[in-house]
Amino acid sequence: MSSSPLPGDASNDPAADRTGRFVRQPNGRVRPLSPHLQIWRWHVTMTASILFRVTIGAISVGAVIAIGWLAAVAFGPDAFATARTFATSPFGLFIGFGLTVVLFSFVLNGSRHLFNDTGNGLTLKSANLLSNIAVWGPIPLAVLFWVVLFATGRVSL
Amino acid sequence: MSGPAKFRNNVKISERHGAGEWTIERVALALLMPLGVWIASTGFTLSDAGYEGVLAWFASPLNAGLLIVTTVAFFTFVSLAWKVIIEDYIHAPVAKTLAIGGLNLVFLTLAAVSVFLIVRLALGSAPLPAGIGA
Repeated sequence: MSSSPLPGDASNDPAADRTGRFVRQPNGRVRPLSPHLQIWRWHVTMTASILFRVTIGAISVGAVIAIGWLAAVAFGPDAFATARTFATSPFGLFIGFGLTVVLFSFVLNGSRHLFNDTGNGLTLKSANLLSNIAVWGPIPLAVLFWVVLFATGRVSL
Repeated sequence: MSGPAKFRNNVKISERHGAGEWTIERVALALLMPLGVWIASTGFTLSDAGYEGVLAWFASPLNAGLLIVTTVAFFTFVSLAWKVIIEDYIHAPVAKTLAIGGLNLVFLTLAAVSVFLIVRLALGSAPLPAGIGA
């Protein structure tokens, strides 16, 4: 980390800066603009990181759906039958498939995150491998899950 | 704000509760990994279970207990995870505090409702709204 600017670099003084490297944050403070999407080359580790945040958002919605099902069970046979009719409709099955993708994504990406949190798997090779598993793994797993559901006759269209 | 800085392995230790929240978030996530697989297998078994079958599943204390642990670990995790996400993108102090506080309120309510429903089902209570309404 070099602390002094290289020759030719823009000034680090916001008042003298004419390069637009400084931005006013929403809280009113003037800060240098961080290197961002167009400066860093896209990498699968970034996809995995962003997808984990998306997954956390999606699984929060999924939890609300799950609690809705829980409430349907608790409200008795009629409510349960209504929930079941919806769940086995084509749209319900589509939502169900999405929920399994999200669940597998949460488990795979969460495992990657926990493993990286212990300081492991951070070499270029293993970080790429773990990220690729976390990004792509949920899709074949969810497809397999639903193929078995249909094959064993538990679910049908 | 606090006493003199403390160090461990020449690394400064968090002055306030930041490191504790980080640890709680990881512990909750670690719990959720096996529980997530269990949820998937539960979804598989219950996919063709009728009303009676689902009630029988909830009547098992192991199932109900694990589901309560899952609920508590899940909402602990998402509460802290959403806090981190909000702090990254919302910088205006009032909006940030409102967003984190509001979401925590929602998550706390959802967790309480879930545990209430699971306990009722585990005890074999009469279908709602018995006991709270009609």
